[in-house]
Parts: sequence; C-alpha cells; structure tokens
Amino acid sequence: MNPKDLFSLSFEALVDRKVRTLLTILMVVLGSSLVVVLNGLSAGQAAFLEQQFNTLAANVLFVGSGQRSLSSFASSSSNSLIINDVIIQKLKSLPNVSDVIPEYTGSVQMNSEGNTQRASITAIDPSKLTVELPNLSYVDGSTINPGDRSSALVGDTIVNPPGADSAFVVLGQTIKATATYTDSGKQVTVVKNFVVTGILKPSGNTGIDRSIIINLDAGNELLHKQNRYDQVIIAATTPDDVDTVQQEITGMFGKTLGATTPKAIMAVRQQAASGNAAFILMVGIIALVVGAVGIVTTLYNSVTERIREIGTMKAIGAQNITILALFLVEACLIGVIGASLGTMIGIGGGYIMSIVTTTSPPTGGGPPIHIPPIFVPTDLIKVWLLSLTLSVLAGMYPAWKASKLSPMVALRRE
Amino acid sequence: MTKDLVVEKSSQKEIVDNSAFALRVENLSKIYDSTAGRVVALDNVSFAIKKGEFVSIVGPSGSGKSTVLNMVGALDRPTSGKIFIDGIDIFSLNDSEIATMRNGRIGFIFQSFNLINRTTVLKNVKLPGIIAGMSPDDVNFRAVKILEALGIADKRNQKPVNLSGGQQQRVAIARSLINNPTIILADEPTGNLDTKTGDDVFDMLKMLSHKFKRTIIMVTHNPELAESTDRSILLRDGRIEKDVIN
Repeated sequence: MNPKDLFSLSFEALVDRKVRTLLTILMVVLGSSLVVVLNGLSAGQAAFLEQQFNTLAANVLFVGSGQRSLSSFASSSSNSLIINDVIIQKLKSLPNVSDVIPEYTGSVQMNSEGNTQRASITAIDPSKLTVELPNLSYVDGSTINPGDRSSALVGDTIVNPPGADSAFVVLGQTIKATATYTDSGKQVTVVKNFVVTGILKPSGNTGIDRSIIINLDAGNELLHKQNRYDQVIIAATTPDDVDTVQQEITGMFGKTLGATTPKAIMAVRQQAASGNAAFILMVGIIALVVGAVGIVTTLYNSVTERIREIGTMKAIGAQNITILALFLVEACLIGVIGASLGTMIGIGGGYIMSIVTTTSPPTGGGPPIHIPPIFVPTDLIKVWLLSLTLSVLAGMYPAWKASKLSPMVALRRE
Repeated sequence: MTKDLVVEKSSQKEIVDNSAFALRVENLSKIYDSTAGRVVALDNVSFAIKKGEFVSIVGPSGSGKSTVLNMVGALDRPTSGKIFIDGIDIFSLNDSEIATMRNGRIGFIFQSFNLINRTTVLKNVKLPGIIAGMSPDDVNFRAVKILEALGIADKRNQKPVNLSGGQQQRVAIARSLINNPTIILADEPTGNLDTKTGDDVFDMLKMLSHKFKRTIIMVTHNPELAESTDRSILLRDGRIEKDVIN
C-alpha cells in the first residue's frame, strides 16, 4: 500500500470518530502548549536576569546590614549592623578595596504636572555612579554635581511609562517627590522638588530604568534615613579581588554585615530559575504523557471497535505491517496536529501569560515589570518532536495488537 | 503437485489433469482442543474444484462448512492436510506470503458484507487493489468497470451504509473481483438478504461463474440455491457425506 493510500485510510478513520479524535488531539495540544509556554517563559526570565546583572561592573560587591540573602536583596534584621560613616571608613580601610559608595534607597510618589507614579529612588554620590554602572549614558542632560541637592536623574521607564502617550517628565522640568516615614507611631510626609538634569538611556536593568537618582544628602533628608545607609557598593581593585574582599568583610564583620557579588546573586537566581524551569518542564512532560495515555486509550478503543474491519482487511490481503502502519499513521496524525497546534497555542499563550503575570517591581514603585517570553526555534522543534514521538510511541501498542489479530478471530467478532 | 489427482464424483473415480484445478484439498483435518474437550471439526476431508466451477458447500450447523471455508481462505491453519490453490501449497507459506496469497488469489464475500462504511463504494472496491500495490489509474479503471458490470457504478461515490443490502453485497462482490482472484469464497452471501434480493445476488454469482469463468465456492444453508450451483458438497460431522454434480 502506498503512503498516500495509507494516509488517506488513516485520516478517514480519524474523521469517522471526530469527537474522540478532537479530544485526543486536545490532550496533545494541552501537553505540548504547556511545555512551549513554560520553556518560553523560563528562557525569557533567564535572559531578563542576565540582562539585569550584565549592566553592573564586574568588580563590585553589594554590602548590606546583616547576612544577605543570595536569593534577594532583602537582609535579615536579626543581629545586623547599622551602616553608618564609621562602618564606611572601616570598609574603606580594607585591602584590595578601591572605592566604597554608600546608598540610600526607598520609594516615593512622583508628581509631574498633575501626573503621578510611584518610583524607586536611589541616593548616591553622583560622581560614583559609573563605578557601579560603567555603561551608564544619557538620552539628554548629564550627571548631577556632587553638591547639588535639588537635581535628579530619571530612568527611562519613569520618563516613558509603558502605555503612556507622552513623556512623564522632560529635561529641565521640576518634579515633586513625596516620601513618607513613621516617627513615634505617626506618619510623616516629606515633599521635595527636584529639577531633572539628566534622563538615562534604557539600560535593560529594571532597577536603574525605574529609578530616580538623587544626591546622597538629598536622599538622607527626603527618605529620613538619619545617616543610616541601606546599601554600600564596594569596588574591588580588580574583578579578581572580589572574592577576597568578600572574605575580608565577613572576617571583619561576621554575620552582622552581609556582602555579595552580582555574579553570586545571578548564579543563585539562575539556579532557582533553572530549578523552577525543570519543575515546570516536568509538569509539562507529565501533561504530554497524559496526552499519550489518551492516544493509547483512543486507539485501543478504536482497535476494539474496528476489529471486524481489521479482520476484513486481513482477509482481503492486508499484511500485518499494513495494519500496524494504519494505526501508527493515525497516532502520527494525532501527534502532528496536536504538536503543531500546541506549539502555536503555546507561543501565543506564552505572550499572554507574560502579560498576565506582569509584576510590580520588587523595590518601590515604577511601572510593572514585563518579562517577554523567548521562544528558541530549536527548543520549539524539540518540543514538537517530543510530542510527536510520544504520540507514535503511544500508538505502538494498539497498532501492534491490531496487527497481530488473527483474521478469523477478528471476523467472528460482533 | 504435478501428479494427477483421483477425485470421487458420485461414487465414480475420475482421473483429472492437475492443471485444471483451481483448488485441491487433501486429507484436511481440524481438531480443536479445549477445556470442554476435543472437537473434530474436519476429519480427513479431500476434494478438488476445477477452474470456473461454481460449488456449494452445504450441511447442518457444526458440520464443518465454515471451517472448510476458513481453511481454503487461508484464514486458519489445519491440524493436518494440505490445500493447494493454483497448485501452491498455501500452508507451506509464511504469514506474509499467505496474506499476499489471500490478496491476489482469493476473493471473499461475507454474509454481512464487511464493507468499510466510512469510505466510498469505489474505495471499498479498490481496497484489495490498493493493498496489492496496483497503480491508482489501473485500480480505478478496473473498479469502475466491475461496478458497471454489476450495475452499481452510479453508487460509486456513496457510502455503503446508504445502500440497500443487495447493493452492498454487490459492492462486496465487486471488491472480491478487483484482483482477478483464482477462487471466490462466498460465506452465506444471501443470508442477510430477502428472497428476491438473495436470488438476484445468487444470479450474479452464477453469471460470474458461467460468463466470466470464475471459480466460486459458496457456503449456504439454502438447499435450493445449492442445487442451482454446478456441484454441491454435503458435509456432516466434519466429513464429506455427498459430493454431487447438479
């Protein structure tokens, strides 16, 4: 029997049982689309994380109060040290340290000509910005003078919030920053105006793109930090000294001060992301296996229902291999249609999921973070082939059973 | 296989040229062993059928008619004995060769038609040709010609399920003819039809035998139909009781 006739007979058999075929295809679609979605989202997340840390200098460490958690920038409060100028001086005295840059961080309500949005705020010595972010550049304007307490640099996402028709703020415009803190149980509001002197180019690092950067003293005042720094960026003499400096900090401060490197943070986050990806991929594969079991059930039922037909086919001369091929082509068709639809739906679903799962930034305000999925063609082909292979494997047993039926026994069955 | 065969014919013995036979059955036995006991379905049955002969196999239920037909159709293997179709010992062949033998040299007509209802009449008729690997043009040409000869060419694009019983059996007859087989095996071909339609179908088989020299073996319960064939083999308890030229 030539392949065209084989295909035609198998296709007719599937069409004859439309509802069951569609439900079986649906199972494969669900499985393969789930794997495609999860793969795409994982790849997107991995790329997003890499982008975040690629913007940072290779020789910097982040130091915060208490033992730093590698999976987040948050620090535990127990047994932690308040970072003040004394600590800064001690850090500066460490060997292999070329610079120590303290920071205040927080979130504020920004107001620009009646428009408001929440934004992260970073107060830092503006002359040290490029130590942390060597590739920092400006769309317009330039950095703040070290003594200037009323100027601000604004990140790209603050200037151009997603979905907005016009810029939130332009160069030279005054913006109002409102911060709140609690003092003796009372909520205190601090309002301060800043002139935008520089607009940062998009860096890909959401922490920077969603931030407003102001002078250290201005931040101390606005955020009511009382000279207690939130974070210190330490520049090691060379990237090779980063680990040594980290050990020195641990040696000097123990667990009261935590130091970590962008590389370590990224490694842990990537590891966590990979763990998640492996887990969700497993869920997807389980869904695919469930789909395969569906194919076994469908085709097995089909063999039982078509037993007389199989007997007739054998009586008129069909070889065992022809019967085997007929059922395998059915499984293959289910697999091809299911995997193809699943891949397409998975790609669409990935984009929809990335929009649905858009999250608020972890530190302070700014527009939500949207991490687009990334669909690597080779990964899509792998998922497609996996779905198809599972479908064909699932069809093996019913097909084999059909091919081995005795024609006489098959013809006798009602 | 080349030696001449002695055939019992109404208690006369006749030496017949071997090449004239479409089918030879030699000492065929079939014994079923089961927990219920040993059942001898066929006991040393021998007969031969000449090319172009229309033979009926008759007998009461359990006489072994269907067992003979299954053996001749190579659907089942005997406990002992041999069957030759076109001089070929069919049970010396492996399963794949037997399938090829069924496809090329045996045509089947079933009591309940056994057509594939999801596909067209034409495709049903073409199916043995498709399995044989016949070219699409050839198989199409032959199928249409046969359907025309059987008077149902206008139904070629319909599904069998939409046809009457008689028309469906004609489709089954057409299917049995597509590969120009040596023998056509008809298992109660009129069993599911009313008398008038059954007679029409029988007449069609008779016409195929007489006009187109087809060798037909028909199992039937109907003594009147059996008498209208060229020869009747009466089976009882797995043995040939009578072999009569009508």
